[in-house]
Amino acid sequence: MSSHQAPNPLCKPVEHTLSRRHLLGAGAAASAIGLGGLGGLVQPLVAEQMQQKEKQVLFIWIDGGMSQLESWDPKPNTHFGGPFRSIATSIPGVHISELMPKTSRIMHKLALDRGVCTFDNSHSAGVPRINRGDPKDRGVIYPYFGSAVANLMGPSDSGLPPYVWVKPGSGGFKYQDAGFLGPKYGALAIGEGEPPPNILLPESVDTQQNDDRNSLRKFANQQYSKTRPATFSEAQNFVFDTAHALMKRRSLFNEPAPKDIARYGDTPLGRDMLIGRKMLEAGVRFVKVNSYGWDTHGDNFNAHASLMPRFDQAFTAVVEDLDERGMLEHVLVIAMSEFGRTPRINGHIGRDHWPEAWSIAMTGTGIKQGAIIGETNTEGTWVTSEAHDIGHFFHTWFNALGIDSEHTEYINEGQPLPIANDDCSPIQELLA
Amino acid sequence: MKIYPLLAVLCCFCSIQPLVAQQLHELIDQHIEQASPEPFAAESTDSEFLRRIYLDLIGQIPNTSETLEFLSDTATDRRSRLIDKLLEDSRYSRRMSEFFNVMLMERRGIDPDWQLFLTSSFNKNMAWDKMVQHMVSPDTSNETTRGSAYFLTKRLEKYGQNPTDFPGLARDIGRMFLGMDLACAQCHDHLFIDDYKQADFQGLFAFINNSFIRSDTDYPAIGMKPVKVRLEFNSVFEEGNFSTGPKLPGLSEIPIPEFIGGEEFAVEPNKETKAPGIPKFNPLDFLAKQLPTATNESFNLNAANRIWYLMMGRGIVHPMDLHHSDNPPSHPQLLSLMGQQLADNNYDIKWCIRQIALSRTYQRTGTITPSVANAKRHEYRVFSEKPLSAEQLMWSMLTATGQLNLIPPQTTTVGSDSTETQQEQLGESIDGIRTDFLDAYANPPREPETEFAPSVRGALFVLNGPRVLSWLPAKPGNLADLLNKQDREYADTLYLAILSRKPTLEETNYFNQYIGSHSDKTKAIEQAIWALLASNEFAINH
Repeated sequence: MSSHQAPNPLCKPVEHTLSRRHLLGAGAAASAIGLGGLGGLVQPLVAEQMQQKEKQVLFIWIDGGMSQLESWDPKPNTHFGGPFRSIATSIPGVHISELMPKTSRIMHKLALDRGVCTFDNSHSAGVPRINRGDPKDRGVIYPYFGSAVANLMGPSDSGLPPYVWVKPGSGGFKYQDAGFLGPKYGALAIGEGEPPPNILLPESVDTQQNDDRNSLRKFANQQYSKTRPATFSEAQNFVFDTAHALMKRRSLFNEPAPKDIARYGDTPLGRDMLIGRKMLEAGVRFVKVNSYGWDTHGDNFNAHASLMPRFDQAFTAVVEDLDERGMLEHVLVIAMSEFGRTPRINGHIGRDHWPEAWSIAMTGTGIKQGAIIGETNTEGTWVTSEAHDIGHFFHTWFNALGIDSEHTEYINEGQPLPIANDDCSPIQELLA
Repeated sequence: MKIYPLLAVLCCFCSIQPLVAQQLHELIDQHIEQASPEPFAAESTDSEFLRRIYLDLIGQIPNTSETLEFLSDTATDRRSRLIDKLLEDSRYSRRMSEFFNVMLMERRGIDPDWQLFLTSSFNKNMAWDKMVQHMVSPDTSNETTRGSAYFLTKRLEKYGQNPTDFPGLARDIGRMFLGMDLACAQCHDHLFIDDYKQADFQGLFAFINNSFIRSDTDYPAIGMKPVKVRLEFNSVFEEGNFSTGPKLPGLSEIPIPEFIGGEEFAVEPNKETKAPGIPKFNPLDFLAKQLPTATNESFNLNAANRIWYLMMGRGIVHPMDLHHSDNPPSHPQLLSLMGQQLADNNYDIKWCIRQIALSRTYQRTGTITPSVANAKRHEYRVFSEKPLSAEQLMWSMLTATGQLNLIPPQTTTVGSDSTETQQEQLGESIDGIRTDFLDAYANPPREPETEFAPSVRGALFVLNGPRVLSWLPAKPGNLADLLNKQDREYADTLYLAILSRKPTLEETNYFNQYIGSHSDKTKAIEQAIWALLASNEFAINH
């Protein structure tokens, strides 16, 4: 239940302790003021802001915590630097870990913030907090970014569900991400590349028969609608249409071409990223691709030596594919974890959780390609530039998608709720 | 002689109360109709009423012979007779158990002892205040009712990585029994609802924050640690430390008695049986005494409101758990009257349901005509559509397809091993079917099922899921079998079995033509059955 309320402009670690301790004091007052100030906001019609309805999101979630030191913010030859070298990238003067050779060649296509400073250092609290953009506690459970986008932007014209989550493990309809928005803004999860339950026509019904029986169904619905209110029937028709849109896209679940697998990597992440790209091409509004197993408390360096090339390959392949197809113009791509890893190397040759100084990479619509911002100190322990909390990124991404994050609210049972932490604001240096 | 009709006419226009006390259903109609100057919809047709009352009272559509029987009844009292018949039907207690289980437990799970408590309570028409007493202060010595503890214990079970949700339990006692969702008043007085104070939440919290799930029983049971001190709390907005003992909103605080150390227990904990001690002071005893009482107006209003919702698909206070001065009842006098009468009639749920069912308000058509096109749901000028619950869909699809006849009757309540085994041997059990329907249509745990939220999941289930599709092909005694044996008038059979009405001329022509001219009649019949099962008219109680 706890949450911090204090604004976080400079993100000194000492203030974290302070704000936690002062939870019932100054922070609460700040939140009360913030709340009072909401009254003046008007709720604009989000749909009208959506000049370009085709904007989409690819959200790559690296669960467990990718080490910034073995990826975006290497500190070779320093106290905590670890064994890996850094390599030059396509942007002169910008170096990343040698574990990302493919990414280094598309660096000019990316934007990178190395000055990320967030709060929770536990998975159980950090994962939801980061995914929700760390809103202030207003007594409701905020939606994850995917559910937020599904609600604010709706499904695309494709008729496919707005939020699809490609992941290892179980699939199905996952409502938990939706928070107060309600289950319908949850994710349709594709687990292990398997289609969702009942998506395939059974053998006893062929396509023609399915068309026939649905014509009968539609006839019956037309009869009923003649004298009945529209609301319930429309909602009911919509879910049948969405179901059919999914059924027609069964090819999305076909075994991918060998040459595609070769480029993306024959790994869970490579295969899921490939499905993710197909989902975007098919018109899904928000695709989350999930990689697990990054919590390297032990043997961090061997683990990253094994994990990073898989990320490097799949990430580069998807960015190149989207670029080649002209899709980066309307797809926002984000790659991130719930936190970074400690510069200090522990007794198990591992790195622990470190929310105080880490990196987030992004590209695509609304994002300034080649913007490399944010700095950490020599040993990578603290952010020395202006620190950015997850709330700043939510503002930035909403704006990249054309949503005015500072003047748009959810209305939950009459309660106006800002869509992003109202102590934060968009990071202009990252926006195109 | 001529004066009588004149008097009768006069009485219709004047507001003199008749000498005989009016029945509640008449008062309902007066209040509803006086509240709006706009026109009201006409009475429902007999088939509309028939389907609606079956779904509401016994949780499923009528079968064809039940439909034909009612539609051929021309007596003027046929509707009230049907209401009384269904209230005495054995399926009434099943329906009420299902409805109250969904409402009270919000899909947290299922428990055989809890099921037994619910079905036996509705079977005996146990009074609502007694049921609530059982839920907040369960009697472990009564094997039939002790499953009532599930209301408390299930909410104290840990789920995911969350800590034991004592605040959630306190919140739900307020929501379910007082119509007050005090969740936002946990840490401070409610920001938008002036009536909801932090002290109200904390007072409720103090009843249950020392409770725990007993681990020494194989049925749901709640234990209580000795309560020695008042509950301390802070506000995130106000300076200072506050404290409260157990206290219901609007009532006085229950003093916490002091005991000499070691004398807190009436029955000491038993280390051998692991039975926890029974403290001399148990706040739940007081909750059971103070909460469900005629003098507790919030309790009465909430009970009336929830029974109204059961029949009308919307609370007079809506949402049902946000009763406060800024979210007033749509018909305050009516709600207050119903709450009072419910208390006066010993919280007789069946009586209250019967009164609502008898009202013109309930029996109005759901058909939209120009005069009611602008009707708002809370005006009750036209009957509002209600989605079928997962259970209503299950029983209705089983009934419509005739599959229900092919499953051995479930003679006992859920959890009886012998019948389950028998059913499994025959290939299909109600429990297995229920699991599929809940997976497809029920809300996730802890989500109230009060708003209509059709899902892609449900659509895919009916489109492609093997369960319902397996009920379509002809088997001796089912609907397709019957249709296969016909050579005309398919539409009549289809519509009576699935939509509980006769088809219109257009519908008759359409379906007779489709089946009659199809090269594969068997397939065409399956298609037609499926189409009506998947139709909006079927999925909605109207």
